Amino acid sequence: MLETPDGRRSRTIELIAEILEVQVDTVRPPQRLREDLGLDSLQSLELLSLLGEELRLELPMEEALELETVEDACAFVERTVAANA
Amino acid sequence: MPDADALPLVEAQLRRFLRREVDAGSLEAGGRISDAMLAKVAELGLFGLSIPERWGGLELGLAGCCSVVTQLARSDRSLATTVGLHNGLGVRPLIDRGGDALRARWLPRLAAGEVIASFAATEAGAGSDLTRAATLATLDGDHVVVEGEKHFVTNGGFAGLFTILARTPDRGGARGQALVLVPRDTPGVTVGPEEHKLGLRASSTVTVRFDGVRVPADHVLGEPGAGASDALAALEWGRTLMAAGCVGTAVAATDAALEHVRTRRQFGRPLLSFPSVRQHVAAMLRESFAMQALVMAAGRAERRGDELSHLATAAKIVCSEGAFDLCDRAIQLHGGLGYLEGSGVARMLRDARVTRIFEGANEVLLARLGTALYAAESSAERRRLHEHDGPLAARFDDVDAHLEVALIRAREIHGLAGVRAQTLLQAFARADIALAAASACLASRSPERALAHQAAEDQLDRAERWIVAAAGAPERSARDALLVEPWVERRLDASPSSEVRA
Repeated sequence: MLETPDGRRSRTIELIAEILEVQVDTVRPPQRLREDLGLDSLQSLELLSLLGEELRLELPMEEALELETVEDACAFVERTVAANA
Repeated sequence: MPDADALPLVEAQLRRFLRREVDAGSLEAGGRISDAMLAKVAELGLFGLSIPERWGGLELGLAGCCSVVTQLARSDRSLATTVGLHNGLGVRPLIDRGGDALRARWLPRLAAGEVIASFAATEAGAGSDLTRAATLATLDGDHVVVEGEKHFVTNGGFAGLFTILARTPDRGGARGQALVLVPRDTPGVTVGPEEHKLGLRASSTVTVRFDGVRVPADHVLGEPGAGASDALAALEWGRTLMAAGCVGTAVAATDAALEHVRTRRQFGRPLLSFPSVRQHVAAMLRESFAMQALVMAAGRAERRGDELSHLATAAKIVCSEGAFDLCDRAIQLHGGLGYLEGSGVARMLRDARVTRIFEGANEVLLARLGTALYAAESSAERRRLHEHDGPLAARFDDVDAHLEVALIRAREIHGLAGVRAQTLLQAFARADIALAAASACLASRSPERALAHQAAEDQLDRAERWIVAAAGAPERSARDALLVEPWVERRLDASPSSEVRA
């Protein structure tokens, strides 16, 4: 599942839903992590740290701090996979 | 009226009142604070400390309110908790975020003490993690319907007005919350019986149920959906006032211990002539100085309009732990007498215990603060509160630099995964708050310069120890977090009655 971009994208959204304890279909790519999903900047970091562990990626913290939306998180994962390939 | 004018008058009346009418032992023995006692507190204007003058309050700033709460706590911690909660978490959201009509309707009655305020956030499934609050506030036309149950509601037994934290499914997304004002006499509000507690027994702590409670939509304070950050803003006052109460307890415990060691003789000498006793006393005086300095630094920050969150958190942690430690030392210095309720110090220890838990368990606050430091979000906030230079100021800068280097190294080693290494984050946070306390001691305007410097030295020593601990923390943290130790897992799986033999 994590070998393809679609699989990673689905898992990223799934994981965000799991951490927020909400239904996965309520998490949509344009939503903002803070304003729409209610995460603060530190909770966003914890979420991305879990994502990194799950996807076995070394995610740089400086970039992680700048993510604003679910879509940003998905794109961030893809960029990191490409950079590590 | 500025603090400088109103505060001395209030404090003079307060001292007379406390001397003549307040006995903590009797208050506790009598159960919850009586209506007659609450009426006397109201007469003194203590329920209007933080409320603006235009609504009948004294409009003291945070520093002035802290000073009054410290005085109260020196005599009785339950009374201090009641007044502190009302003036902080109880009324600040309404003052800062309520509409004009709502403020005009409630604040004069709150200032006069006709109505006492309460704040309800904790639930059965939402303690330290308030994002899990299940109480709902749902829009229904021009009303909001509140449904849920709140636990550990301080002042709830006699409160006429609750500010509650509720989920707003209509606004703010999955975790959207709001602070909602609910008058006690609204149909559907049920106040439960008083809890039986370890300490603060004359204060009120109850469970409150809200069954289909309808309040006008203007009772939502601030922006619907922004309740979590509104609650955090109110907690800045709440935590600082609680810290101020801890200062009162610390001073009372130190006074009681001093009185005892001056008069009690053993082995033919007064206790105070023994070096180990003097060492305890000196440590108590240094610790309570640092606690006071931090609270005063928070008060000055509020007066200047500076960021308060970091200092309020540091004061809450340092003062709650310091008060408990000082009460423990006071009991030790009293010997067996300290273990008896008649000494008064046993009650102080019981009263102080909860402050490490409520308004944010210290462990959770430390982990959050540590995460912020690790993410380099709050390094600027740690900077000097003191302005002067000198040998100790230079040492402060050195320790501060050590912490920065340790943080940079940890980020290099652990990367983003470090934000989940709680032991590591807490160690960094402890170093950080010790630095804040050291700087507050150095910034103090107290004429006791030697005491100020030694109190600052203690805190700098503490900060250095935590920086060293942080360097060794990641391994321990991983072990604790994952419970990889087989003996821990065996113990967790065992039945409660199984024994461990050394």
